Amino acid sequence: MALSNTTSCVLLEKWCKGKCTFNLLWKLTNALGSTTYRSNNLELSCGFHQANNIKALCYSSRQHRGNHCCNLHSTSKCSSLKRQWKHSLSIALPVFVPSLSYYSIMPTKRKFSTSQKDEPDPSYLEIDPYKLVAEEMEGLANDIKMCLKTEEPLLKTMSHYYFDGKGKTFRPLVSLLMSKACNISSNIGDSVLEKQKTVAIVAEMIHTASLVHDDVIDASDTRRGQSSLNKMYGQRRSILVGDYILSQASIALARTGNPDVITILSSVLGDLVSGEFMQLGSKEDENERFSHYLKKTYKKTASLIANTCKAVAILGQCDEEMSELAYQYGKNLGIAFQLVDDLLDFISSDMVMGKPTAADLKLGLATAPVLFAAQEYPDLHAMIMRRFTEEGDVEQARYFVAKSDGVQQTKLLALQHSKEAIKNVQDFASSDAQRALIHLAKILLERKK
Amino acid sequence: MYSLIYQLRMVSFESATKIVSFTRVYSKSLQTFPKCSSIKFQLNKLSSSSDKFQICKYTFFRDYRVTTNEDKKSVSKAVSDAEKIVGYPTSFLSLRCLLSDELSNIALHMRKLVGTRHPLLKTARGMVFDGKNNLQLRGLLVMLISKAAGPNPQAPYTEQEMISGVYPSQRSLAEITEVIHTASLIHKGVVNLADILPEDGPLSDMEFGNKMAVLSGDYLLSSACIGLAKLGNPLVIEQVASSIGDMMAAEFTPFTDAGGKSTVPESCNSFSDWLKQTHLSFGSLLARSCQSAMTLAGHSEDLGKMAFAFGENTTYAHQLSKDIAAITNQDENPNLRPTSAPVVLYREMASLEEINKMYTFWQEEKINYKKILSALVDSGAVDKCKQLCLQYRNKAISSLDCYTESDAKVALINMVTAVSDVR
Repeated sequence: MALSNTTSCVLLEKWCKGKCTFNLLWKLTNALGSTTYRSNNLELSCGFHQANNIKALCYSSRQHRGNHCCNLHSTSKCSSLKRQWKHSLSIALPVFVPSLSYYSIMPTKRKFSTSQKDEPDPSYLEIDPYKLVAEEMEGLANDIKMCLKTEEPLLKTMSHYYFDGKGKTFRPLVSLLMSKACNISSNIGDSVLEKQKTVAIVAEMIHTASLVHDDVIDASDTRRGQSSLNKMYGQRRSILVGDYILSQASIALARTGNPDVITILSSVLGDLVSGEFMQLGSKEDENERFSHYLKKTYKKTASLIANTCKAVAILGQCDEEMSELAYQYGKNLGIAFQLVDDLLDFISSDMVMGKPTAADLKLGLATAPVLFAAQEYPDLHAMIMRRFTEEGDVEQARYFVAKSDGVQQTKLLALQHSKEAIKNVQDFASSDAQRALIHLAKILLERKK
Repeated sequence: MYSLIYQLRMVSFESATKIVSFTRVYSKSLQTFPKCSSIKFQLNKLSSSSDKFQICKYTFFRDYRVTTNEDKKSVSKAVSDAEKIVGYPTSFLSLRCLLSDELSNIALHMRKLVGTRHPLLKTARGMVFDGKNNLQLRGLLVMLISKAAGPNPQAPYTEQEMISGVYPSQRSLAEITEVIHTASLIHKGVVNLADILPEDGPLSDMEFGNKMAVLSGDYLLSSACIGLAKLGNPLVIEQVASSIGDMMAAEFTPFTDAGGKSTVPESCNSFSDWLKQTHLSFGSLLARSCQSAMTLAGHSEDLGKMAFAFGENTTYAHQLSKDIAAITNQDENPNLRPTSAPVVLYREMASLEEINKMYTFWQEEKINYKKILSALVDSGAVDKCKQLCLQYRNKAISSLDCYTESDAKVALINMVTAVSDVR
């Protein structure tokens, strides 16, 4: 579960282009189980069948009309097997490597440009995700404030501070859309159920509580273009107000009375904290760093979105398979969302974001653009290890990232996750909500803040 | 890590088997008790809640305590007795959390804080050592009241699942209660970086200490939430979560300033404000945990309400006794704050002039405890406080009337009596 399918596809391709080490690929397939890559003219899959202890690599290519398959039998993951596998890969791959180029397969440049929209179904474009659930979203801030009712004036001011309607409220948006899509799929009407609305509220509250704590940990003075809580009221009360918001979210959640939903959403809290812990340390091994980063991204961002999607699916009486798809959608969407966030940290200006940019570097965090850039500029590895603490490290790293195609590759990875997300909701009953979910996964890549 | 937990479990099983033999010894030392309890029941029949009766009841329990416990050791004696009843030493309740990878990570980093005055150090020390104020009484009380309530045919578990008379879910709840309490202590120890003094330590270290405090507190809170969810009872989650909310709200009342120091607002004039503050900061957690223990076993709502009252009144009695100790025990004088119960009571009795005079003592370079104490004692505020303490103790004890006599109930009474000592 550490890596998604799409990520591994990108890495697989990178290996083909000689941009990533074999060790990374090896670890990847072990972690993943199986990988399939499909494009116009080829299909490549490699897998590890635990039961038979067979590592297999299959690829087919339309150009070569036929399937090629290499099976490797082994009883242990010994180095000779590794060598064998590497050998067979190098035999198998050169056949189509020349035709394998991201840029020819995917019209990436157009995808990310704002001036022109790309060609696919115009029907998707008509659905504005925000408009579709505007009614539900409107009352959201007030509903949250109702949850945060307190007699203490200061506590009230502080806990309501971030629920001023200026936030992106991305998480409630996703969960409300998913609620509609699920309800239609399981034939229980197209309106959002009360309990699903509660989940949307709880998601935003958990997110805000974690923001408040993050700002203290990262010593951040601004948030959404205004002073952060810790700047205005001090660290101590900010932390306590975060806990307060969390406790009220738990109360709201408990009132849904659904033990499954409660368990799912409380697991998010564990993920958020362990994500924060993962952020503290970095991996010595260069190859592990990327999977560490993706795991952290899942825990810190995607887990909340994925699990709220799953929760509303369960409340919408979806079966296990559908709930899992909803979960996968949320997970892919969440990872894409964070990847875009990480690259905006490099290309956006302070003004647009409402928070200082290159903030991650300043905090010593190596995000996807840096990790990709490090493959072209190995000098970055040392900086990553010392968490950009030395004089000039941040500027140097920014320079390397700008020179490399790190940003571009991050975009691609985000695109892959967004495509995967779209695939996840493809089989939902066709509805405005479903189309909005698909559209959301697309416009996510174009956001500027 | 796992082997250690395993060992601890083994210890708990061993002590569970020892209980049988232990209770025999225990009841021998308490031979007088059956008599006493019958007296108490008769008294109960005679009168409901008149003051005279309260005093009468008080002497009864007080004598009882004196016969079973020796002076200073009374609390630890009551605790160790009670621990044997519920099966294992509860001081290790939150050990499972302490042994996690996340917190051991923090412990490694903690070295950086040595030499600074970051409150996290003190809290951490309290978690490892069994300090005077860190006996993890809450968890123990939750388990004892669970046992006192006994098995319930309507419970979602069978009686066979009980270990030493406590359902596994109630045991988890006791653990969660302790974890929440610890988490709140840690988070309350976050310092405002704008207010730190040079002698506290370098700014960077204090900032680092804050980071560690936030993360470890968050870790504990999230494991508490996951544990609560596992209990599978939404009502319990609601109760416990609202007690977390109460504890946080307590830090935003006019009684506490931004740095967490006690202050007395102009508006506060009555003892009921003190009660409210004590309820929010300590009472709520214990009261709702006790109530939740009843909910988990499927006991009636009335039993839950009584358990709530027990937890709440025990907290009041305990807090009053601590506030009194700050006056009667010289070593603990620094614990006397403008928000201590005797001072609040003094405000009710004294004239504005006298009150202002008292506050000037606090503002002096070296706080003049002698003058404060004499003013408090002379006004009768301390005596009033003692009286109130005993009243709350008795209220707590009488809320146990709904349970049949058992060694768990005896232990509960012992505990309450020990923690509300007013001499």
